[in-house]
Amino acid sequence: MLRMSERPHERGRWRHLPALLVSLAFLLPVWFMLTGSLRVPGAAPTPGVTALPIDPSVESFRRALALVPLGRFALNSVLVVVAAVPLTVVFASWAGFAISRLSPRARGIMVAVSLVALMVPSVALLVPRFALFRTLGLTNTYVPLIAPSLLGTSPFYVLIFVWAFRRLPQDFFDAGRVAGLSWLGVWWRVAMPLVRPVAVAVGVLAFVFTWGNFLDPLIYLFDESMFTLPLGLRSLSTVGPQDAPVFLAGAVLATAPVVGAFLYAQRFFLREHRESGWLGR
Amino acid sequence: MARKVMAWSIAAAFLAACTGGGGEGPAGGPLGGTVQIMVFGDPEEVQSFRDLEAAFEEREPEVDVQLVVASDRDDLLARLATSFAGGEPPDLFLINHRFAGQFATRGVLEPLGPYVERSDVFGLEDLYPEATGAFVFGGGQVCLPQNISSLVVYFNRDLFEQADVPLPEAGWTWDEMVERASALTQDTDGDGEPDVYGLAVGPSLIRIAPFVWSNGGELVDDTEHPTRFTLDTPEATEALRDFFDLRLVHEVVPTEQEVESEDDAARFLNGRAAMMMSSRRDTPVFRTIEDFTWDVAPLPVHDEQVTILHTDAYCLSEASDHKEEAWAFVEFALGPEGAPLAAATGRTVPSLIEVAESPVFLEPGEPPANARAFLDTIPAIRRVPSISTWPEIEEAAEPFLEEGMFEGVPLADVVRSIDEATRTIFERGRS
Repeated sequence: MLRMSERPHERGRWRHLPALLVSLAFLLPVWFMLTGSLRVPGAAPTPGVTALPIDPSVESFRRALALVPLGRFALNSVLVVVAAVPLTVVFASWAGFAISRLSPRARGIMVAVSLVALMVPSVALLVPRFALFRTLGLTNTYVPLIAPSLLGTSPFYVLIFVWAFRRLPQDFFDAGRVAGLSWLGVWWRVAMPLVRPVAVAVGVLAFVFTWGNFLDPLIYLFDESMFTLPLGLRSLSTVGPQDAPVFLAGAVLATAPVVGAFLYAQRFFLREHRESGWLGR
Repeated sequence: MARKVMAWSIAAAFLAACTGGGGEGPAGGPLGGTVQIMVFGDPEEVQSFRDLEAAFEEREPEVDVQLVVASDRDDLLARLATSFAGGEPPDLFLINHRFAGQFATRGVLEPLGPYVERSDVFGLEDLYPEATGAFVFGGGQVCLPQNISSLVVYFNRDLFEQADVPLPEAGWTWDEMVERASALTQDTDGDGEPDVYGLAVGPSLIRIAPFVWSNGGELVDDTEHPTRFTLDTPEATEALRDFFDLRLVHEVVPTEQEVESEDDAARFLNGRAAMMMSSRRDTPVFRTIEDFTWDVAPLPVHDEQVTILHTDAYCLSEASDHKEEAWAFVEFALGPEGAPLAAATGRTVPSLIEVAESPVFLEPGEPPANARAFLDTIPAIRRVPSISTWPEIEEAAEPFLEEGMFEGVPLADVVRSIDEATRTIFERGRS
């Protein structure tokens, strides 16, 4: 205890080491993706990976964009994300807020139901969902990709909100009610500002999920002009081994927005961390 | 792996949900409406389908072709299985013969036999019978093949000439191949590890099968109604041992780790494999090679010349509302106008004999010079059984074949494990 308080800087410096090592392990593939994408396509592939690009070139990016309309696909992905992510946060927080207001018994049941729902493999629902959307005449539209956000996308996100709201003092909500707010008002004016990092986290998770969603576009979209990025990337992945840089260029283009979103969102975590901590306390 | 699991789960759901129905015969009338066609391929191959689509739409302006593109076979199967099970199958789709059985035996396909019979563009006899035969189910011609490709040996002519090794030629024997592969396996930088391998081939069932047949063995007990593998016969076991010995004894093929870091096609591209066994599908990629010349030759022979069939066919959904339009597309795509468009990709050997024997295929001005090797071996083609569970059987057998070739697991154990792992899958394929 004494040693720690005597040498706070020493301790601070070393405690980041494990985190640094872990992030290094995760950064390496990203680095190889980047350097690989800068190799000239069409050349014989190198066995193994190259740490530094020799003779870097953006030719593979040009080829990737020429082979597959990645720009169009990216726009389509953005369209889906812009609709699905905010809807996910709103609906998951509504569900979470409602469940957190239930009696302990009812809440337990709802949490259990959510957990059970979480355990149903999504593949098992694929055919029934397809049949449903087909009956509604909604295949080959973005509705099947966005519709799950009306259920909060995943029971997991709902549960995250349940736990976040449960950790807030219940007096806050009662005070809101006394002040004449409706429940919707309490949710928006009292509850949500207090769990903002959670909302951001769920937003980021939903963004990553929607952005990388491969199966749903594969099943529901027929028209190539409506395809999303993962389908384009998949198509690029079928190029020959001599064109691996082209595929990696596509991967860089598809990954960049996710990295950007994360870098943007992490400001919220860090700020909240300094002010009041994770989960808004 | 996850995608494979996914594909199988969907397939299982599909099989459970599918119901067959009575088919309607061909009928006349003006063409019109939208035809949905599901295909798969890399971006350049997809472009050839788009060319085909454009040419067809020019011919039939009232028909709108909606091309649904999957990237590879797994994606195609996921799409197909879901759309069939969900009740909205594509009108037409292109599928490999090893994967067609699961659709054909469920009665969800409209047989194309009656359509081709009344066609005045081409008849069944104008297509290679070795390919059409792979799509006969229940005695009828169900799907119509777009291509026919056999397994051949691609070889790096420069490496052969530098090492003064005789080039592969028609009728060469297995032992000659091993001998030449050994001469070509070289450690060029003196680190004790080979830098150039004589041969690149992996222990998959469809690579091993032609040699089992060539040695007088059989893959299964009954080609039409198989119940089990027959790899335990002396002929089959010998062929299997010879194949595994490529790695275990002669060390002329790369190790498993080396294959992981550089697959066979990449190794050949790099000039680090003198020979490689593959179907026609690698030709477009190899045409990008500038550093050396290459060509193709028939497979080496144990007792008799045999090769294995690779073919994809157009299948028509029984539930299609636009059967006549879909047929018009098949007729166009496989006929003398469409077949050259598909052949131009270099990726396929056209199923229409007339086009395969024409300069479009034989002399496109690009390698392989000996494109005829693909045609000459067609009479020697055999194929794997057309049962619905064949893809699963292959997948179940593969890990044991890898253990046999790369880890030296005793041959008897490999053969027994494969038999044990696949019996029930054969059983399911019969019901």
